[in-house]
Amino acid sequence: MLVSLRWLRDYVDIDLAPAALADCLTMAGLEVDAINEAAPEFSRVVVAKILSLKPHPDSEKLSLCEVTTGTGILSVVCGAKNIQAGDVVPLALVGAVIPGGHTVQSSRIRGERSEGMLCSEEELGIGPDHTGIMILPSGLALGQDLKDALDLRDIVLDIAITPNRSDCLSVFGIAREIAALTGKKLRTPEIRLREGEEEIRDLTSVQIQDPDLCPRYTARMVRNVAVCPSPPWMRRRLESVGLRAINNVVDVTNFVMLEWGQPLHAFDYRFLEEGRIVVRRSREGETFVSLDEKERILRSDTLMICDGIKPVAIGGIMGGLNSEVKDDTRTVFLESAYFDPVSIRKSSRWLSMSTDAAFRFERGIDPDGVVRALNRAAQLIADLSGGTICRGHIDEYPRKIESPRNIPLRLSRVREILGMDIAPLESVRLLESLEMKVLKGDELHYRVTPPTFRVDISREIDLIEEIARLHGYDRIPATYPAISILSKERDRRQILEEQIRNLLSGYGYSEIITYSFIPAKAVDDLGLPAGDARRAAVVIRNPLTEDQSVMRTTMIYSLLETMRKNAHAGCFDLKLFEIGRTYQAGQPGSLPLEKNNMGGLLTGARYDHRWHYAGIDSDFFDLKGCLEGLFESLKLASVKFRTDLHEPFLHPGRSCRIAIGEDRLGFLGEVHPDVLTRLGLKNRAMVFEMDLDVLAGHFSSALSCSDISKFPASSRDVAFLISRDQTAEEIIQISLDMHEELLENVFVFDVYEGHGIPEKMTSLGLRFSYRAHDRTLTDQDIGQAHNAIVRRIMEISGAKIR
Amino acid sequence: MIHDLEELRVKAIAELDQAQTEDALLSIKTRYLGRKGLLTGMLRNVSQATTEERPLIGKRSNEIKEILTEAVDEALRRLSKKKREQALQEEKIDVTLPGRAVRPGRLHPIIRISREICEIFAGLGFSVVEGPEIENDYYNFEALNIPKDHPARDMQDTFYIEENIVLRTHTSPVQIRTMEKQKPPVRILSPGRVYRPDSDISHTPMFHQIEGLLVDRGVTFGDLKGVLTFFIGRIFGEDTAIRFRPSFFPFTEPSAEVDIRCVMCRGTGCRVCGQSGWLEILGSGMVDPAVFKNVGYDPEEVSGFAFGLGLERIAMLKYGVSDIRLFFENDWRFLEQF
Repeated sequence: MLVSLRWLRDYVDIDLAPAALADCLTMAGLEVDAINEAAPEFSRVVVAKILSLKPHPDSEKLSLCEVTTGTGILSVVCGAKNIQAGDVVPLALVGAVIPGGHTVQSSRIRGERSEGMLCSEEELGIGPDHTGIMILPSGLALGQDLKDALDLRDIVLDIAITPNRSDCLSVFGIAREIAALTGKKLRTPEIRLREGEEEIRDLTSVQIQDPDLCPRYTARMVRNVAVCPSPPWMRRRLESVGLRAINNVVDVTNFVMLEWGQPLHAFDYRFLEEGRIVVRRSREGETFVSLDEKERILRSDTLMICDGIKPVAIGGIMGGLNSEVKDDTRTVFLESAYFDPVSIRKSSRWLSMSTDAAFRFERGIDPDGVVRALNRAAQLIADLSGGTICRGHIDEYPRKIESPRNIPLRLSRVREILGMDIAPLESVRLLESLEMKVLKGDELHYRVTPPTFRVDISREIDLIEEIARLHGYDRIPATYPAISILSKERDRRQILEEQIRNLLSGYGYSEIITYSFIPAKAVDDLGLPAGDARRAAVVIRNPLTEDQSVMRTTMIYSLLETMRKNAHAGCFDLKLFEIGRTYQAGQPGSLPLEKNNMGGLLTGARYDHRWHYAGIDSDFFDLKGCLEGLFESLKLASVKFRTDLHEPFLHPGRSCRIAIGEDRLGFLGEVHPDVLTRLGLKNRAMVFEMDLDVLAGHFSSALSCSDISKFPASSRDVAFLISRDQTAEEIIQISLDMHEELLENVFVFDVYEGHGIPEKMTSLGLRFSYRAHDRTLTDQDIGQAHNAIVRRIMEISGAKIR
Repeated sequence: MIHDLEELRVKAIAELDQAQTEDALLSIKTRYLGRKGLLTGMLRNVSQATTEERPLIGKRSNEIKEILTEAVDEALRRLSKKKREQALQEEKIDVTLPGRAVRPGRLHPIIRISREICEIFAGLGFSVVEGPEIENDYYNFEALNIPKDHPARDMQDTFYIEENIVLRTHTSPVQIRTMEKQKPPVRILSPGRVYRPDSDISHTPMFHQIEGLLVDRGVTFGDLKGVLTFFIGRIFGEDTAIRFRPSFFPFTEPSAEVDIRCVMCRGTGCRVCGQSGWLEILGSGMVDPAVFKNVGYDPEEVSGFAFGLGLERIAMLKYGVSDIRLFFENDWRFLEQF
């Protein structure tokens, strides 16, 4: 909220410099976001006196003026007719900047020298008058800067008011807070009502049909008003806080809202049919044109202010075009009411109308301030428009608005919450400075009644906060809690994630974080068929953009997008991984299923493009090897890569399922070229995705160790000719299934296809290593075991020895 | 005769010094020390010497034989060393060429900060707990004392899935879920993704928060100040000036916003701190009794404090990141710096 310092000073003396005041408010919970100097946007405009005036020799419209600034005499050419010798006027000196950015220059106008410019109110932006030069009071010191001479400078504070402090949504409210904080006396503006003879009750009536939404409605009427622009002081007040001045009636309602925080509305009485007000809920589908000239379609629970026939305002939100105050308005019907905060909030949100009035009503206004604001506005309208206030006011108050009274406060509790003693007298003083009434029970038990404008205070803890806030958080000593011992085993998945991050970054993979939302069309880009569970995405009702409209069901799209963006920036070599969630839509009304996943992507050169190995592209086995290393480090021996995978977005011949034990863990493979094309990617890429919850289920940070043999190992190499349909894994598995004790390990040392090998066959070179725990093996031992294994492989797989 | 011997010694040594190859050395050796060599030849004439001279000549010639043998060996060692040095020279490489790269992977800056914070609090016995990112309205708002149609909802714009299901706007719902399941004492930290519909240089629709909660008997606002001061000292340096100022969060009371002295201008005022000299770092407060009641804790029995902070903000300040969107664009030139 913007608050002018000059305005604040109407109600409280402020000795502090603006920065110190801002600091004081900030440390009391009214955070000052900015301190702005507010002054009309001109410079080098000074007070000058016209010494003589004579007609321009070459123009009938212009005159030549001799003016003095007290020290020298200047000649100025001027076109206005309202000036004469002896007038004190604003003079823009050569080099002056006037609103709109125009710079005044020394010039010749029709052959006559002009060394400045005499200005109108409007030209200086300090008033609406553009009919002639602004005539200043004659007592002003010549040569003085006009801003100082007219005291036009102001400071405007921008204060962030938290939603609980509706009492500070007004200048008076903030003045009240400053008074409490600085110990200065608060000055309440005096209201002098001069009522006429005519009785308001003879002219109008108010009927509240829905008191749950409008518990209180008060009104006054002012007759014989003359609608015109407000005087400069009023305009400056409103403009200083960013409001546009309109006319002396509407400006007063805005002024009083800013002064007291009570929104008001002024109707033109002549448009109120039957001359009366009915407050009721709207009818479903009813239409209404608000002041901003927009047609609104209403719901049945919106509170409307109506005359005898039709709606004339959306209660607490905005007036209607059909009853607005116009230039020829003579009788004003002035409304000051209390509307139910929840109802106002619902309606203003439903209608998307966040007005200054709604903002205040939904936060809760002072129920006891309604009539004061009404009287204040009636007085000001009468003052500014020359109207007469009708005798009496209407106060329909069918439902009492409860304000908390006698809230118990235990001083022991203050200590328990804050961790320090605040002397009883000091607590009382602090509360009383906020206009709270404190009743003493015994020594340490009080009963506190907050003022009605403090709608945020209803509980003991609210009082304790006020004491802490005013005492000053900085004066509460920092301590350490005496905490109980808590022993909790760390979550297995969290340990796993930490290890994965360490390992993968060691392997050269960098972690990324991408948005959890993806475009709805991502599933099409990935080629997911109808019925694929990953098409059942959680949809965001109010996305910011189409590209962020559904929650991802796979991490692959985000990885490929990251690749695309980097390629665009000229970076083609990437090793990436992400740990995050995927989301699967659940039953309506229940939460979606969130899975902890991890995905990765590899593309581009296997090594850096340096002199060592230029131009070797990474492939499937680079990424697979990285995952194998990962599983080995994590001691997950039961991971298997299976060929029974059909992922539409992966290369059918270069992808596999990853299984652990009996569980599905995820997949790994080269991205399908069609998908690359759809996403505008040129280079091959390898990706994987795994379910971390499944992985965590198999993960244990426990380790065990067995003895190592003291005896040497011997190895035997065999090259098998196998069909290309057969896999290395199934051949090796045959040997492992024999559970030969002496076989220590088997690995692939060579794979060869091509020259010398029959078509559709592969030469698979296996190295078998044998060792015993208790002796050095003889050739005979090894031969026996090895021959059995080789025979078995040939029998079962049909492989031949090359 | 003795004189001749000495002359032979000097000459032999001079020749050895001159020899450049192993072969040359060996032929010198044979010429002087061989069975038909010069030294043996000289001894054959020993009969011509006087009786007094003879033993001396014998002794001296043995000495010279030893000297020369040693000199030959020395020369051989010298040559072989030289040869080896030459061979090594031929293997010379340009050591200034870059090594075979093991390009390290990088950890995302947000993860780095998250780890750092979790480690600091792990030392105080806080354990890490996670919760759903897609939440019931109840956990995200109502249980946290933010009723429907309450202006406090304006503090957090919200992505909706259904009427009562939202993308969580903060990590605070984890407080509620934890307290519902667990009796006090509680000491948890909950990092994670949160969502608000907002996008500009300082807002992204997804970002990260860490929520902290400590509930026990007799926990005070002074304790909140102590623990958070300790934390900020650890993460921004012990000499970081810090202030607690009153604020409002529906689920804490009293509530405090915690500011640190601007790390850019050190308090003189700059663009980063909006001329105030202070930077807002985290929100905190004593758990509101209404929240305790919602989870079945007795606010007369236990008290506690909660705090929440945005990881992007901390990372931006700590690493000097100027645009929050960089965290989620994953441009290698950005990631590479971590």
